[in-house]
Amino acid sequence: MQKKLIAIVVVAIVAVSAIIAGWQLTQVPSSEAESEARSIKIGLVACYEKAEGQDMDRAAKMAVQEINDAGGVYVAEWDTNVDIELVIVDTEDDSTGKAVSPVTRAVLEDEVDLLIGGYTSSGTLADQVVAIENRVPYIITGASSSLVTRRGPQGNYGGLAEDNQLRIEDEEGMSYMFHYCTTTADYSKTVVNFFAESMKPLLDSTYEFNASRNLRLAILYRDDAFGKGVKDDSKAIIASENLPIDVVAERAYPATATNFQTDLTAIKDAKPDAVYVVDFIAGTSEIIKQGQRDVGLNTVYIAVECCEDPQLYTLLGEYGEGQLLESKFAPYAGPPFYLSAIETYVTDYQEKYATLPGMMGADTYDAFYIAKDAIERAGTVDKAAVRDAIESSAIDQMLIMTETGKVEFSTGVNYHEIAPVTFVEQLVWNEDVGECRSVIVYPDTAPGVGTLKQADFVLPAGYQSGSP
Amino acid sequence: MQKMFANLFGSIGRELLSFYRSEKFYFVLGAMAIGAIIPLFVSDYVVGEVLTPMIIFTIYASSWNLLAYSGQGSLGHAAFLGIGGFASALLAIKLGVPPIFCLFLGSLFSAAIGLLIGLACVRLKAWFLAMVTFGFSVIIVTLISQFDTVIGGIMGFPTPLLVERGLAFYYMTFALATTSIFTMYLLMKSKMGLAFRAIHENELEAKMIGINTAKYRLLAFVLSTFFAGLAGGLYAQSIRYIQVSVFDAYYSFLPLMMVVIGGLRTMEGPIIGSVIIISIESYLPRIDPIMQGLMGPLFPSVSNVGPPLRMLSLGLFLVIVVIFFPKGVSSLLHKIHNYFREETKKANNIERK
Amino acid sequence: MSGLVETLLWGVVNGCIYILLATGLNIIFGVMKLVNFAHGQLLMIGAYVAFTAATVFGLNAYLSILVAIVTIALIGAGLERLTFRRVLGTDKLNEIFVSLGLIYVFENVAVLLWGNKLKQITSPFQGLGLSLGEVSISYDLLLAISVVTVILIALFILMKKTKIGLAMRATSQRSDTSMLMGVNIEKVYIFTFALGAALAGAAGALYGIIFPFNPSIGALPTIKAFAIIMLGGLGSIPGAIIGGLLYGIAENTAVYFLGGIWQDAIAFALLIIVLVIRPTGLFGEKGE
Repeated sequence: MQKKLIAIVVVAIVAVSAIIAGWQLTQVPSSEAESEARSIKIGLVACYEKAEGQDMDRAAKMAVQEINDAGGVYVAEWDTNVDIELVIVDTEDDSTGKAVSPVTRAVLEDEVDLLIGGYTSSGTLADQVVAIENRVPYIITGASSSLVTRRGPQGNYGGLAEDNQLRIEDEEGMSYMFHYCTTTADYSKTVVNFFAESMKPLLDSTYEFNASRNLRLAILYRDDAFGKGVKDDSKAIIASENLPIDVVAERAYPATATNFQTDLTAIKDAKPDAVYVVDFIAGTSEIIKQGQRDVGLNTVYIAVECCEDPQLYTLLGEYGEGQLLESKFAPYAGPPFYLSAIETYVTDYQEKYATLPGMMGADTYDAFYIAKDAIERAGTVDKAAVRDAIESSAIDQMLIMTETGKVEFSTGVNYHEIAPVTFVEQLVWNEDVGECRSVIVYPDTAPGVGTLKQADFVLPAGYQSGSP
Repeated sequence: MQKMFANLFGSIGRELLSFYRSEKFYFVLGAMAIGAIIPLFVSDYVVGEVLTPMIIFTIYASSWNLLAYSGQGSLGHAAFLGIGGFASALLAIKLGVPPIFCLFLGSLFSAAIGLLIGLACVRLKAWFLAMVTFGFSVIIVTLISQFDTVIGGIMGFPTPLLVERGLAFYYMTFALATTSIFTMYLLMKSKMGLAFRAIHENELEAKMIGINTAKYRLLAFVLSTFFAGLAGGLYAQSIRYIQVSVFDAYYSFLPLMMVVIGGLRTMEGPIIGSVIIISIESYLPRIDPIMQGLMGPLFPSVSNVGPPLRMLSLGLFLVIVVIFFPKGVSSLLHKIHNYFREETKKANNIERK
Repeated sequence: MSGLVETLLWGVVNGCIYILLATGLNIIFGVMKLVNFAHGQLLMIGAYVAFTAATVFGLNAYLSILVAIVTIALIGAGLERLTFRRVLGTDKLNEIFVSLGLIYVFENVAVLLWGNKLKQITSPFQGLGLSLGEVSISYDLLLAISVVTVILIALFILMKKTKIGLAMRATSQRSDTSMLMGVNIEKVYIFTFALGAALAGAAGALYGIIFPFNPSIGALPTIKAFAIIMLGGLGSIPGAIIGGLLYGIAENTAVYFLGGIWQDAIAFALLIIVLVIRPTGLFGEKGE
């Protein structure tokens, strides 16, 4: 009996091995030189559980279809036009356990030529490692932490301590990372400067405050890298630029929280003039609603740009009236828009999807065009050449405004960031639509565009300032 | 020759001997052979993202199973998975401990915490223990977040590797898994294992025959958390990053699902369960686009029906297994094996006649 | 500090919801010696059912509570019959496993049917309330507390004055003796589970009026309800009431002073402390 068993087991092992070996042999590994033309595979790294991820998906599909319909991408090496094939890399909730695996599959199994996307900072910091090691160009359109491009030698390790494991030594690998997004420092700077330059004078004149009275700011943030990053950066900028702002309250809550009444009540006790809400759409909309409806904290709230999405306006409803949103892409501030490219994009997106686009999708959309331009200039899909081409991008700005009016990845500096222009919008109730729409209130101008401001900032109806 | 073996190693020898003679030996040998050979025939991706996690979660599930032998069902085992991961990574980074010792020390640390929690838990009834362990997995996230400047768990950080990724890492994990499971097997065959089973079956009677139930339950706790910590250290190296999301409830429920589906309180259960669940999680997502096309219109509120349908099925699977196959897939396999054995016997009998 | 007063009020409201949940759990455990970890999911489904009643059928938010109660009671009865009855009497851990599977089932059914986005039931009194000096008290909060009080009184009458209540109490004392006295144990079990579920459904509907909800909100309240039962003593309804109130207040006060990140951890820290000091809970186990 035992002999029979051994025999069966051995045969089984041999059979299984043979099948697997045979199957493996049929998988022809990709050759070094791509002599045959084929479609370009671009992986979209997005978290489909969230509205922002779905927006990125729609924008990506629209970009790919537009490019393919217009003839695709011309690759000189093959002397022909080829299509872009979109590979979906769904990181579910973007926790590190769920983010790394899909990206690994995309890089090793699907063998993508390029990656676009990224959502949270911690998720991206984890999943970009696969791209770095395998030298896959990654245009990161989410993740507000500057570490995604600065964590290597060329970025001076982003100021990380020597024993901090987030440091990466692979200078070559890091050169494949591109950050097409704003960092927490970028937009916090705009926000606090708005408070100092625009809101404080208004408060002083309306309430006859002493000019030496600092604006009372409360920061309510989600307890993760994103929230803390904004809080720390804001405080640092206030200090370094000597702005007349006091942070009278700073409160953190777990990222999964949905009930903010008690935190808001505590903030109410601190009597702030304004509240900086650092969270994604779900949390932000609840905070703004609960603050006004349930707690009676009738102040002005300012949200972060990742909330720039139709869902925010829908969720806020009338509670959005008078509230603020820092942004770099405003599909609701018009028509007429501050940038003609936005008009086209919004119209096309709306026609195709019956909803308005959000900000993360806009970044993503641009990124596909950046990739197309780079591949065409490189003339090949060889990743190193494409990387070089992206680095030397100098196309005109598209949906996202930059300081120079062109898409340039920090020429002269070795880590790849753009210099985006961010602004502050105020939400205004629109009776016809049954929702709020926005107008840009700060700053007055932008380098590539001219006049940016569309209206003056006003205090919301029912606004109560902090204590004198 | 065999007698010398037995004399030299006493009861361990006896155990190994009886194992060698049993049928199980060939199955185990076969399984190990497959496990050792398969990586050579599949792509790097499969080795790193499918096979290695299967092995790591086998250790993790087995650790949970070990605890279950003593009648204790933890709902917060992720706490120890994470503690093991953070401890082994931090030991290497902050204290410069040589990589060889990190995993082991990390597991010891996890076991130490397990001892503390165990002290609170061992006198509790099953459901209270489940709740307290779950509570612990929630608190530990807050605790680690409070020490973020030292630990850096909120943003997370890359883990230093003991061995290079790929085949080397797989074989190291495989070796550790084999050792761990074999150790657990020997433990369960020993007096301690008997005590565990006695306590699980009837705690009152166990006490009456003089077994110190609290002591043995605590022992089970410590051993279980040791191996969970080991799995954690390996897991952190396998995904090359450690972050507080490792404490999510998902990671607490995984070993439970694997063990119950595979076969509760059997040695092979955790292995079977790990293979099944990891396969589902690795390969089923590929049919998501098809599912979306088929069933998307039925559920307009969701943009990707794949993940919820998958989790729903797992939940249903678990409920059905518990109600109809309390001994899990493993019992099914035994039935199949017995069926073949009966058929062979009949065939042999017919032959002789 | 007006904020503290308001926080205490929120604490009481939270506590009321916890009371309903914990009482339901306590009744089920007291009578059936059964542990259902998916109890919080019944709360979650209750919120969604009330939401559907209010939005699709246009019912008043507070009437929707009744719809939720009835629906969840039926679901509870179904659960008992189909799943829990079959594992009652087997390995104690099996109840935990079944509950866990049910958690995944309920949560994902909710995701598929209603999606992941936060929803809330619009109350006719939304945004309205009393103002006592600097303190503002919303009508919804007061109504919630009243509703819970009414339910508890009804429960008390049920348990003390009706035949089924008597049967339930008898079964919780000695199920074998009750059987000998002619009590139909199966009927009692189904009714008990349905009752416990109904309470959870009511808690869910109330929750849905005051707070936003999504499919994941059921997980933590279950654990907190268990903790309250331990604090208040297994099987003791007065214990659950006091424990629930204390818990809600403690949780909110902790958040007020220490910040939102401590909300869930405080709950467990409290639990572990109580367990260590007094393993039978603050009020002790109800005598058999």
